[in-house]
Amino acid sequence: MEHYLIIARSVTYAQRMQRALDRAGIRCQIFRAPRELTETGCAYAVRIQSMDLTAALQALYRESLNPVQIFVSQRGFYREVDL
Amino acid sequence: MIYFDSAATTFQKPRSVAAAMQDAMATMSSPGRGGYPAAMHAADTAFDCRSELADLYHAQSPEQVVFTSSATHGLNIAVKSLVPPGGKAVISGYEHNAVTRPLAALGAKTAIASAPLFESAAVTEAFDHLVTPDTDAVICCHVSNVFGFVQPVEEIAQICQTRNVPLIIDASQSAGLLNLDLTRLGAAFIAMPGHKGLYGPQGTGVLLCGQATPVKTLLEGGTGSLSIQQEMPDFLPDRLEAGTHNMPGIAGLLAGIRYVRQHDPAAICGRERRLAQFAAESLRTMPGIQVYARPDLTAQAGVVSFTAAGHDVEALAAALGERGVAVRAGLHCAPLAHRTAGTLESGTVRLSFSDFNTREEVYQFLIILRELLR
Repeated sequence: MEHYLIIARSVTYAQRMQRALDRAGIRCQIFRAPRELTETGCAYAVRIQSMDLTAALQALYRESLNPVQIFVSQRGFYREVDL
Repeated sequence: MIYFDSAATTFQKPRSVAAAMQDAMATMSSPGRGGYPAAMHAADTAFDCRSELADLYHAQSPEQVVFTSSATHGLNIAVKSLVPPGGKAVISGYEHNAVTRPLAALGAKTAIASAPLFESAAVTEAFDHLVTPDTDAVICCHVSNVFGFVQPVEEIAQICQTRNVPLIIDASQSAGLLNLDLTRLGAAFIAMPGHKGLYGPQGTGVLLCGQATPVKTLLEGGTGSLSIQQEMPDFLPDRLEAGTHNMPGIAGLLAGIRYVRQHDPAAICGRERRLAQFAAESLRTMPGIQVYARPDLTAQAGVVSFTAAGHDVEALAAALGERGVAVRAGLHCAPLAHRTAGTLESGTVRLSFSDFNTREEVYQFLIILRELLR
């Protein structure tokens, strides 16, 4: 199922993102970012459904929360999305 | 035991604190180290604790809340972030060794804004006289750990803002009791213990960091972020939190903070002040006792120091201890405060209260003391 991964710089930042998305009524989950997606090593990601991307980004930017990177999962592969 | 040494650590804690610590031991691993439930439960608890503190002290983000092992740990980070070796600092006359020793280790040129005990206007005036634009940092305790003197941090913050000098506040004795607004004060750092007025366990502390404050690391190591990079992350809280977190401590601290917020810091402070006032008024009626308190306890929190003519303070505290009253005597790791107040030679006996003390306990203490002084 297609979904987006929003990479955060730390677990605390990912939690801030999660709370902001919760407040905007957007369902999400935090988990460890796949190693293949993080050049700098350990990171956390917030996973959202593809239909929520625009609203999610609006909610994050409203609270000055900036993703490190965003990836879309399609048929089991990740592709970076230009911000 | 009648415990009047809460300025050192609050010994009686809310029951929820030990329960939270036990739960953490059974259910939490380490935040930022995995995505499995025990790691995420730890991360959620740490985040909740940061959020409560950010809310209580008006930090704009939970990331500005850094966990430390004590206020001393936080003050070391703060002082060493802002004062270079041989730099210039201005401190109040009531600072603890947690401030003066790091400054001495840095070989800092330290000016002391000395003022008589309980004279807030004189403290402000002293800082106003000494703080110049080339001062690297101003450091001031909110409340003296020896005398309970509440220092005018708002006025001092204003002086710092006007002269663009960073301010470090040591909130060791005011955390959980008096209001502090990190953002409005424009403070660079506020350091506090978790184990005093916030009722967390020993081994916990908090450093609140101003948004634009540059921070230097005391420790380097694993943070669970940017692992390939060999420099510490440049963002908070990771930059200042190398190594495994004290999760039982943080869980206990969270329970303590929730207790304090539920019981209202101002109400707790009011109760402690009333106990201090009762103790001070009663001590004044005893011959040979000198009490360091203003009659109306304005500018003073729930801490009272006294001396008894002809009695060594340590011997008196030991005698009280043998009779089940725990107090602290001597210099309280704050020789500067004693020098400023003129009690360096004798030291003092200090009574410091918590939300768990009662008027009956103060009354019992007074009876015991009266017998000892006969």
